[in-house]
Amino acid sequence: MLKNPYLDLILTAGLTVIFIIAACFGLGMLAKWISKKRGRSPVYQESAFAGYFFAAPWIVGFIIFIIIPLTFSFYWSFTDYRVTARDPANWLGLENYITLLTKDEGFRASIINTLYLTVIGLPLQMGVALFLAVLLNRKIRGERIFRMGFYLPVILGFNTAVLLCWRLMLNTGTGIINQIIRAITNAFPLLGYVNRGIIYIQEIITAFFLGLSSGKFNLLNKVIEAGFPAANRVPLWVQSPLWSKMSVILLMIWGCGAMMLIFLAGLNNVPKELHESAEVDGASQWQRFWKISFPLLTPYVFYNLVVGLINSLQIFEPIFVLYRDNQPLVSSTISMVYYLWQKSFSHFEIGYGSAISWVILVIILVITLVQFRLQKRWVNYDLY
Amino acid sequence: MKQYWSILKSILMYFLLTGATILMSFPLFWMISSSLKTLEETNSPGIIWIPKQITWDAYLSIFQNQNFLRSYFNSVFFVTFALAGTLISIAVVSYAFSRVDWPGKNFVFFLMLSTMMIPPQALIVPQYVFFNKLNWIGTFNPIIIPGYFAGGAAMIFLLRQSMAQIPKEMDESAFIDGANHIQIWWEIVMPLIKAPIATVATFLFVGFWNSLLTPLMYLQTVDLYTLPVYVSTLYNINNTVQQWPTIMSAAVLTTVPLIVVFFFTQRFILESVVISGLKG
Repeated sequence: MLKNPYLDLILTAGLTVIFIIAACFGLGMLAKWISKKRGRSPVYQESAFAGYFFAAPWIVGFIIFIIIPLTFSFYWSFTDYRVTARDPANWLGLENYITLLTKDEGFRASIINTLYLTVIGLPLQMGVALFLAVLLNRKIRGERIFRMGFYLPVILGFNTAVLLCWRLMLNTGTGIINQIIRAITNAFPLLGYVNRGIIYIQEIITAFFLGLSSGKFNLLNKVIEAGFPAANRVPLWVQSPLWSKMSVILLMIWGCGAMMLIFLAGLNNVPKELHESAEVDGASQWQRFWKISFPLLTPYVFYNLVVGLINSLQIFEPIFVLYRDNQPLVSSTISMVYYLWQKSFSHFEIGYGSAISWVILVIILVITLVQFRLQKRWVNYDLY
Repeated sequence: MKQYWSILKSILMYFLLTGATILMSFPLFWMISSSLKTLEETNSPGIIWIPKQITWDAYLSIFQNQNFLRSYFNSVFFVTFALAGTLISIAVVSYAFSRVDWPGKNFVFFLMLSTMMIPPQALIVPQYVFFNKLNWIGTFNPIIIPGYFAGGAAMIFLLRQSMAQIPKEMDESAFIDGANHIQIWWEIVMPLIKAPIATVATFLFVGFWNSLLTPLMYLQTVDLYTLPVYVSTLYNINNTVQQWPTIMSAAVLTTVPLIVVFFFTQRFILESVVISGLKG
């Protein structure tokens, strides 16, 4: 290989393009040949050629980058394969899976953390998205600017640079978010009680989840013993295991713009006549939303739920940027994907890492299938 | 009475919307403001919205940082090559799924959609071993080349939806004039879907520009780091004092391309998310 990484890439890219074009012709010819053998008409043969010619890049990529890796990782997940080891891998049978599912505390913690993000973060994220969509769903001036403002966080998303800005803002002592909270609670003592109440509830819930993952509920007892938070308490965000996951949820809520656009599309599709006739009958706005718009919106809720779940199960960047190298916090916030990354690439345990990947894959598939099963109970497709 | 109520309501709504917009864009404002502060100001216990004395020291120091400049160049290089290959191959494949009837089309399309459920992270371990065998670790290849094989089922789906809306008669008359599929793809279909192409290009650009996990795994040396990887090294938990103004100036420079691209393509994006979202 060439010494210069840039030239190396350009050369490889060129070779790849040639390979893909060759594959296009190859696959196209093959399809044409097969349909000729079957005695199809020349027009049929031509479209078989064209179809496989144009679809070839994806088909070849699917085989090289999805089918083959999945097959290999399935095999490796039953072995103790390591990249660095010279000697061949040993067959372990189900040992990796048994260790992973019964003994591995890190993995258990990662599942419970991910569960926390999904059970607490996702409803909050969807709620805020729906609220913003309802606000925007009317003819108002400057609607485009609001939309842009709400969508911008999705673009900035989980870029490291933006996450570091959040790290600065979330500092417990001097971070701007806590400064603002302090200023507000000093000015309005009543809101101070609200703030302390939220802190109390949040810490109890998180302590409960931390108890689930470690099996010991000491922390929960401590939080309850400490009682209602003192007047000068502020959220500890990125400095305490009790708050580390809440910071990630804050980021999820911040990036709710994509969901908001989907909800907005759904609200646009609700027929105006239904609202008008309900208004004549004297239904209030609140009633009209829950009785008319929301049932018709359920397909969109379902879509956001499926996509949002897959996304929250795959969360990685925020945890890497906010908590990497911060040992006590990593374990309180580690996600399944982060755990996979840690196991596979800091210890190069490919066999074990493969087992983790397969468990994650199965979890995501099962959850998605269950959702599709359950959708009949609550999703309303009357409009479609 | 009812009139007053509706005026009050619209005032309240504008108040809520403006408040939410300010909250949403606040991190961006804070990033810029912090990059213009001194180190003492970023760590001060009082709120400093905008520094009284704007200093450009952070930018001067980041512009003298060879590693930062190099990673900036690497990011531009990586995104250019990855974007070009991925975009073209996606446009080719969506043509097959929308404009041609071929045996097995529905099955392959179903396979493609079902890959959306496979988390990319489930593939990284075996792919790493595969690229290791190819001696590609420590090069740009593993983060760019897979895209050339039409990576990204959601993007194919989005383009396919727009291509399918073009009337079939256009192809048929071109066929009679003796055009082949490649000519129809490039000369008739592509010019008609400029807006969806711009949308897909933006999504791909954002995805590549922000990507952290794969560059982190494969790029190994500081010389090859892309921006997200390098910027993440600027913040080090073991330092007692973080150089926040410098980190924030690097952050501002990292996000500028994102904001510029979003500004120019927002009218396509804000509409097409809706098209692609559900109407399958």
